[in-house]
Amino acid sequence: MTATQKQLAIHAEGVEVNFGNGAGIFDQNYSVPEGTILGMIGPSGCGKTTTCRVALGLLAPQRGTITTLGRTPTRFTAEDRERIGYIPQQFVLYPRLSVAENISFVASLYGMSTRQINVRMDELLAFVDLTDARDRLGQNLSGGMQRRLMLVGALMHDPVLLFADEPTAGIDPVLRQRFWEYFRRLRDEGRTLVVTTQIVSEAIYCDYVAVMRQGRILAVDTPMGLRRRVLGGEIIDLTLEDPENIGRALATLRRWREVVKSVRVAPNSETDLHVVVEDAREYLPEVLNRLENQRPRIVVASAAPLDVSYDDIFIRLMEEAQAPQEADHG
Amino acid sequence: MAELSDKPVVASRETIVTPGWQRWLIRVRAYFWKEVNEIRRQPLLILSLIIGPLLVLILFGSTYVNSNPRVRTAVVLPAEGIPGLEEEQLRQVIGLNFDLRLVTRNQAEAEALLATGAIDLIQVLPDNIFQTMRSGVSPEIFFTANVINPLVEGWVQYLAYAQVNEINRTLLVVTTARAQEEAAGIRVRVVDFEGKILEFEQGISEARKEAAEQDLKTFIDFLDELNRILPPQEVLAQHSDELAQLRPILTRVRINLREVRRALLDETLSEGLLELTKTRSDLQLLSGTLEIFVNIAPDRLVSPVKLSYRNLRGSAYSAVVYYSPGVLALLVQHTAITLGALALVRERLMGAFEVFRVAPVSLHQLIIGKYLGYIVFIGLATLALIIAMLVIGVPLLGNWLQFAGLTLLLIIASLGVGFLISALSGSDSQAIQLAMISLLLSIFFSGFFISVESFAPVALPVVYAIPMSHGLAGFQYLMLRGLPPSPGSWLGLSLISIITFALVVIITRRQLQRA
Repeated sequence: MTATQKQLAIHAEGVEVNFGNGAGIFDQNYSVPEGTILGMIGPSGCGKTTTCRVALGLLAPQRGTITTLGRTPTRFTAEDRERIGYIPQQFVLYPRLSVAENISFVASLYGMSTRQINVRMDELLAFVDLTDARDRLGQNLSGGMQRRLMLVGALMHDPVLLFADEPTAGIDPVLRQRFWEYFRRLRDEGRTLVVTTQIVSEAIYCDYVAVMRQGRILAVDTPMGLRRRVLGGEIIDLTLEDPENIGRALATLRRWREVVKSVRVAPNSETDLHVVVEDAREYLPEVLNRLENQRPRIVVASAAPLDVSYDDIFIRLMEEAQAPQEADHG
Repeated sequence: MAELSDKPVVASRETIVTPGWQRWLIRVRAYFWKEVNEIRRQPLLILSLIIGPLLVLILFGSTYVNSNPRVRTAVVLPAEGIPGLEEEQLRQVIGLNFDLRLVTRNQAEAEALLATGAIDLIQVLPDNIFQTMRSGVSPEIFFTANVINPLVEGWVQYLAYAQVNEINRTLLVVTTARAQEEAAGIRVRVVDFEGKILEFEQGISEARKEAAEQDLKTFIDFLDELNRILPPQEVLAQHSDELAQLRPILTRVRINLREVRRALLDETLSEGLLELTKTRSDLQLLSGTLEIFVNIAPDRLVSPVKLSYRNLRGSAYSAVVYYSPGVLALLVQHTAITLGALALVRERLMGAFEVFRVAPVSLHQLIIGKYLGYIVFIGLATLALIIAMLVIGVPLLGNWLQFAGLTLLLIIASLGVGFLISALSGSDSQAIQLAMISLLLSIFFSGFFISVESFAPVALPVVYAIPMSHGLAGFQYLMLRGLPPSPGSWLGLSLISIITFALVVIITRRQLQRA
């Protein structure tokens, strides 16, 4: 094992599991450094769960190699499994058991003694605000409480690596945010998390984001890196006072190649320009100066870094991935 | 929503170090307690599993009257009745086996009742029963039934056979009594005729010849009548050697007397003095034998063999007690199969298998833990049921330890069948359906109501594959006879336990791998 691998919780190279008819995961290459959150984002059926199952050792890759916590997952020992936590997509909750009994059951599967369970359960119930529901039966819990109960179950044995398969699906935005607070807190305490989601905006909470489509990982990067990768940098949105100056402004900025990566008229606008630079906040004053210094002056009515949503970034990534396929078919 | 707690979520690594063997036991215990907790949260289930069957058993015991079917019967008598057989006597004979609802001389009335289902059976007694018998033809009693239950039909045929035997015996007693009456009168004449033979030996005057010939003819007629009315030779012979000789002596005397009459008519009587002496000697013999015959009770003559019955245990148990081991075996098996049938399929469908695969638990820990949970629960339920049975008077004569061992083995074998159903089922409802089919199989093929010996050999594998078949036989031995269960019971349950456990492990392992 190399020094780099030691610091990676998961390392996958060319992993493929082909279920036939285009289903499965293909040529997956990614790494998850220890102590980070990897968010797997993609539409339903894109292979997020399969990717997790391969990393958990529930499925063996037909091609490629993968290591989780430095071990081949299909050869995990009981000790290896004790270091991993898992929140499945499907609720596994026994409706006739109380919250405490559900937790005790899962914790006992990991070999924890009754004393250990009691101590740890108190901590974690407090962590997810379920202390008062300790004796409530599973069948009487709300959807959000059930989700939190699943999280507690997965954390009882204090895993160093936690897989959470769409833990925020179908819950309200407040609780969703709360879950990400839990996850970031766990990350801050040194755990590694792999979280799948269909909600693109949750990418912002992750240290790394893997964008998935049809079993393939289109891109793995930090959220900011992903933004840069798609947009080519950051965007400054300029509104010119006089629409007549659009042409001159475009020409001026395009000549300034050492700073401006690209510039174009904003969609559906006659006065707005989108200027792509490496760092929008850093280069915004210089861009304004450059335009103001032209003779005659190009007056800028307003200018600000443009906040492109991750939905847009995701859509652009999808479109980019779609384009070669359409070309092939066309 | 409250702020996140400041306490770290990371546990101290030192606090979760537990020895490996202890972890193994903890994991088994996890499944054990989960099953126990899930069951104890269902009080209605517990009630229905313990109290329900007990109530059924008590209801059965307090209302059960007889295991023989009550065959509602009408008897159609001949117009002139049966000579020598009173109607009340007939009612008693037929009422022994049948529920006699009607005695009539109108056959159409009885047939109408039979057609509507108001009665199940008509018995038509024959006309001129004694005349028909005398003519050498066996009179027939016509039984006409209207039953749909094959078991009841078998009973009707058997009871009809028994009744005809009883009627035959009664008729034989009547005819024998009549024969004895007549024989007593004839015996007086026999003694009297000995003197007449002596007179023949001494020579008979011409004037007495005609009267003597008439006496001889009359006497021969009496002997012919005696010959006709005597019970069959088999009846006489089965009583004693003396009576066995009655008919041969009578025949010999009748032949000799006809010879004497012929000699008397031919006037050659003096030439046959030796035959006359011999005939007189035979008459003495006949007289003695007739004396024996007339002094025997007709019942004894007709039924020389008497029934003597003794039950080593005093008497058989009441039906409720007799069926209790079967009920116990059925309940243990059904509870185990029903609970077992849901044990795996439910968790497989809810996705728990995926969690089990990710967790450091083995398949054996999963199955052993679940088995133990159900064994404890069913064991406690069985204990409650046994205590209730003891309270209502069901004995447990055998060894308690053997009883406990057999119960445990029956639970394990039944759980194996239940778990196998669960492993094979694709849904809860399918598992319940299969559990109900196993119940139906058990009721028919375990020997609970229908004896195992009633089935063709081809059904025996089914019989032996049912845990209850072995449990029922073993419980009956232990509880009611005080004997240890047969080795077959132990072996059968052990084999079912081992085979089903192995199959459950194999199938569940595949399912876990697919989870």
